[in-house]
Amino acid sequence: MVRVIKEKYFFLFIVFLAAILPVVKNEFVVHVFIMVFTAATMGLAWNIISGYGGQLSLGHAAFYGIGAYTSTLLYNHLGISPLIGMIIGGFLAVVASLIIGAPCFRLRGTYFVLATIAFAEVLRILCVYFRGLTEGSLGIALKFEPGFAHLMFEHKEPYAYIALGLMTVVYYTSVWIGRSRLGYYLIGIKENEDGTQALGVNTYLVKLIAFMISAFITAIIGSFFAQYILYIDPHGEFSLTLSIFIALPVMIGGIGTTLGPIIGAFMITPLIELPSLFIGGQYQGLQNIFFGVILILVVIWIPQGVLKWAQEKLMRKS
Amino acid sequence: MLAIIGQMTISGILMGGIYALVSIGLTLIFGVMNVVNFAHGEFLMVSMYLTFWLFHYLQLDPYLSLFLVAPALFIIGALTQKLIMQHLIDKEHYTQIFATMGLSIAMANAALFLWKADYRMVKTSYTTSVMAVGDVVVSYPRLVSFLVAVAITLLLFAFLKFTYLGKSIRATAQDHHGAKLMGVNIRKVYVLTLGIGSACVGVAGALLMPIYYAFPTVGLQFVLVAFVCVVLGGMGNITGAFFGGLVIGMVEAFSGFFIAPELKEAVYFIIFVLVLLVKPSGLFGLMRA
Repeated sequence: MVRVIKEKYFFLFIVFLAAILPVVKNEFVVHVFIMVFTAATMGLAWNIISGYGGQLSLGHAAFYGIGAYTSTLLYNHLGISPLIGMIIGGFLAVVASLIIGAPCFRLRGTYFVLATIAFAEVLRILCVYFRGLTEGSLGIALKFEPGFAHLMFEHKEPYAYIALGLMTVVYYTSVWIGRSRLGYYLIGIKENEDGTQALGVNTYLVKLIAFMISAFITAIIGSFFAQYILYIDPHGEFSLTLSIFIALPVMIGGIGTTLGPIIGAFMITPLIELPSLFIGGQYQGLQNIFFGVILILVVIWIPQGVLKWAQEKLMRKS
Repeated sequence: MLAIIGQMTISGILMGGIYALVSIGLTLIFGVMNVVNFAHGEFLMVSMYLTFWLFHYLQLDPYLSLFLVAPALFIIGALTQKLIMQHLIDKEHYTQIFATMGLSIAMANAALFLWKADYRMVKTSYTTSVMAVGDVVVSYPRLVSFLVAVAITLLLFAFLKFTYLGKSIRATAQDHHGAKLMGVNIRKVYVLTLGIGSACVGVAGALLMPIYYAFPTVGLQFVLVAFVCVVLGGMGNITGAFFGGLVIGMVEAFSGFFIAPELKEAVYFIIFVLVLLVKPSGLFGLMRA
């Protein structure tokens, strides 16, 4: 029952967001919306493998970077539309997820976390090293030629609509996964992998499939975001900090819940973006201290996330 | 060519001593508490900065400040356990990972905010002093750091083997319920373990300062190396981590020469994945701490 209500309201919420976007004339507010939508989408993607399946990945920046670099390099060098580059990037990320997942899903827990971190780091190193192709640490500026075929626009509104669309699609995908056989297998793996295996589930394959889906979506966002910011560099795209910031909204909203990543993104992303209006870049450190502390406090006080915490509170009242 | 190979072996082993010291702390914490401390690298960063400031303001030699930095790091580790990790002992695994991740982000950025992104170095009279053995050149500060690393490992080993506290730490590592039933104060053991593990990086930081520079994100690069050493040696295995450190030190020296210095981390990673594939219990598998 709760579930049906939740989804109906979620659709109304999307419609509401779509309706207020043209009303908001302020460029900065639209920018914050774009950041919230993309953070929510990546959170949803991360949540599929790490929330449902309990396999913590702290290397999602790798997929994000693969998406960003594939579409950008194809566009800058060969003039291939980012719309196509995005899909190619997505599939390359799927290949990458197989390369990292195939050896590491044979192991449990911590090994997987370490391997994902190391993988993203290695991609960053390779990206800096092969400067002939990637321009190394300098990064790449995208040629700005507005038009839908290039996924580049003069104003921010079209980006916001695309981001909103992506978030909606990924939300319903993850609702669907949560209810499908795959979702139940993943939850089974999180709760008791041996038990799930004993019931005849190929847990290895299930984890790989979830990882591939998650990687694909993350790469799409990486390449969308490159079209928005028009600049990419290895230390931003492949960094561990980015991987943690992908997970942050999920941790706050509620890991393993479908709505959690979106709630978390609406709560935390404005806090990430707003200070840049008032204080300059030199206080970057100060801001990230705050997020580090938030992360610690969240796991100590409300490890289940805001969503479940609120639900528990309401249950107790009624 | 033979001289070059000898030189690289020596340089690799000496650098490996530092890696060993960082890895021993990490593996001890993992073995006892089953927690990977992602803030371990930032603890190293803090100890390097402490050494730097002690030198800068008090002209204290890094090898002397070691005796201040190691206890300071013990306290930081013990406080981390008391204030943060204690709440997460029986919680799910991801909470512990994200708590130490959060601590790592907060500490690295606090350093960036307080001390800026500048590279800080300690210039001592012996920073560049060397000793020639045949064709091979041995750097004094690196030799000292290696010998101290060996000594600390032996001390830690003796402590775990022969003292009551050491035995209770080992008992907790094997079975914390059993240890509790035998009257071991587990909470105290945990505080002590994180303290000792952090004191190890305290020593490593002080030893590193004469040969390396401190900057806010220095922790990440060392902790990644330490992960590889720890996995190589078998997670929770102190002797394994020590030899893992030496092996990785040599791998670094050789891959830097034969492949490319920028790619050495890529080489570790391949080794890391190979070890995971072939022998996930580590090359020194069975002997646990």
